[in-house]
Amino acid sequence: MGDVGTFIQLVVDGLANGSIYAALALAIVLVNQATGLINFSQGGMAVLSAYIALTVSNLLAPSIGVAGAVTLGIVVTLIFSFLLGAIVERVIMRRFERGDPDTAVVATIGLFTLITGLCGIIWSYNFLPFPWYFPVTDSFMIGTIGISVWSLTTFIAVLVVMAVLQIVFRSTKLGLGLRAVADNPVSAALSGLKVGPLLMAGWGLAAMLGAIAGTLVAPKLQLSPNMLDGALVYALAAVIIGGLGSPIGAVVAALGITVLENLAAYYVPIIGNDLKIAVPFIALFLVLIFRPQGLFGRKVVVRV
Amino acid sequence: MTTVASFFRKPLVLWIIGIAIAVILVVLPLVSDPLINQTLTRILVAAVAVLGLNVIMGYTGQVSLGQIFFVGVGAYAAAFVLRSEWGQSLGAGVYVVAFLFAVVIPGVVGMIVALAAARLRGLAIAMVTIALPLIGVPLAKRLSDITGGSQGISVRYFKSPDPAILADDQWQYFVVLIIAAAVFALGYFLVRGKYGRAFAIVKANEAVAASMGVSPYRYKVLAFTIASIFGGISGFMTLVAYQFYSPDSLNFGHSIELVIATIVGGSASIAGSVLGGAFYVLVPQLTQAWGLGAFTLVIQGIVIILILFVLPGGLASLPKAIRRRMKKHRTPDSDGRSAAPSATQDASTH
Repeated sequence: MGDVGTFIQLVVDGLANGSIYAALALAIVLVNQATGLINFSQGGMAVLSAYIALTVSNLLAPSIGVAGAVTLGIVVTLIFSFLLGAIVERVIMRRFERGDPDTAVVATIGLFTLITGLCGIIWSYNFLPFPWYFPVTDSFMIGTIGISVWSLTTFIAVLVVMAVLQIVFRSTKLGLGLRAVADNPVSAALSGLKVGPLLMAGWGLAAMLGAIAGTLVAPKLQLSPNMLDGALVYALAAVIIGGLGSPIGAVVAALGITVLENLAAYYVPIIGNDLKIAVPFIALFLVLIFRPQGLFGRKVVVRV
Repeated sequence: MTTVASFFRKPLVLWIIGIAIAVILVVLPLVSDPLINQTLTRILVAAVAVLGLNVIMGYTGQVSLGQIFFVGVGAYAAAFVLRSEWGQSLGAGVYVVAFLFAVVIPGVVGMIVALAAARLRGLAIAMVTIALPLIGVPLAKRLSDITGGSQGISVRYFKSPDPAILADDQWQYFVVLIIAAAVFALGYFLVRGKYGRAFAIVKANEAVAASMGVSPYRYKVLAFTIASIFGGISGFMTLVAYQFYSPDSLNFGHSIELVIATIVGGSASIAGSVLGGAFYVLVPQLTQAWGLGAFTLVIQGIVIILILFVLPGGLASLPKAIRRRMKKHRTPDSDGRSAAPSATQDASTH
């Protein structure tokens, strides 16, 4: 039974980390669908949001207790991150959206550098412990199998967030508008939609998703300005493997590669914990060679 | 103002300016102090890496976030030869063999990466290459037999053959200067020749390139391979200049800084690559000197975003931008500004 237990633990932990990467990947797909850009500062913005949550939590914890303070911290940072995304879109990215995509990428890289630097100045480069509802080392037993509470709750939380997002996109006016803009901004504008505010909302929602990912993972990894650099690579790999146009593909790919790498790190000794970041990269390589449009993507035909 | 502008475009004047710069580059280190020589050396090292990045990014229009990885591969490949017993038995030939290793190995690795990454259109190369430095650091720590692990490796072989004539810092400077001059000459002729034109078409429009018989895939792979080779050479030069290499040197952050330096210096510009190298070295050095080390990233981030907004062609396009502005001042109707800013658009500014 021990072997099965280890296997299940590895899978559950993989799903938890994978759901963090999936949230980040989904944020990237969201921005890409709305504006055609890849936002390399998505992880940086998420880290900044997590710092806001941490600051609010630490400020309030002595007076209202850890659980209440963390909850308020999350609420505050959700609002903050939405505004952050919207403002970044309007003030910086708007100018690059219809231009050369490579220039826009460099702009998001500049933004990433700027945000990382700001976090470093304000909160230092030390690893800061992040208060949480329960100790992240907690686990419970099912028979002989120990399951991490943090892993399970994180996975479920991200699933719930994604379900909510799905509802927003499918059954609200905002979601309909966002989908229209993503599909064809010109005809969306012609049919009376306010494209500008919708783009801001799209970036805001993506930043919120990132903030959730950052805040969920911070208790486990401890907060530092570079906390999500690795996660960004996983998210980008997931986005390519799943296909850029496919939100579900990105989520499935993120979960898949993280479970795979967790298993590979344990069962293939040469990979080990330090080099498991190479697993998504190798998967990416294989997908690019054998199925360049991604596992879930459609082949795009470009008309000249 | 036009008289001044046309004066600076006369071939004879350009030759005189070029020779003057060359003379300064050769004479200055003989009279200045070691700190300045060291800084100049480091700028040249970075400039070669930036030039490589410019070949793929500026001239071919594909963003690569992994350039520092190839600098690292080159440095480790050269160090491997320099420190090996068989290398030692080669006498002075060891430097040549080490240099060849720093060219061939990054080139082969770069080609393999590009063969996969260049299959996707658009931003795939950026999304794939961002993983290289993040894998490179743990990989370098793991391969401690070659890389010395987290401690890094010292290579104390680049000493002046005769300290009475040239001090160590001057010797290192001239070694780096000669390599950099050769690489820049190569780069200059590359981007002006047949390949440069093919890169420019791929950058402008892949569909048009394909219809003209220029395979975008093949030229993207070629440009990426050249970029990797230049990165590897910069890695060899890093060993000469710093005599040390560690996994910290191939940190993800440095890779991003190289991209920023390339665009700040000037996309698709040979002179811009030198300016980019200077930006890469001087910003951290100056902020450290002024006790503002924590602000390095913020300054780099603000500068790159400002550059993209007001001077998309980078610092190298400043003279042209000023000239244009003055012209515009005289005849308000001639509008030279384009609507969408593009850092990787202006292929004509060399």
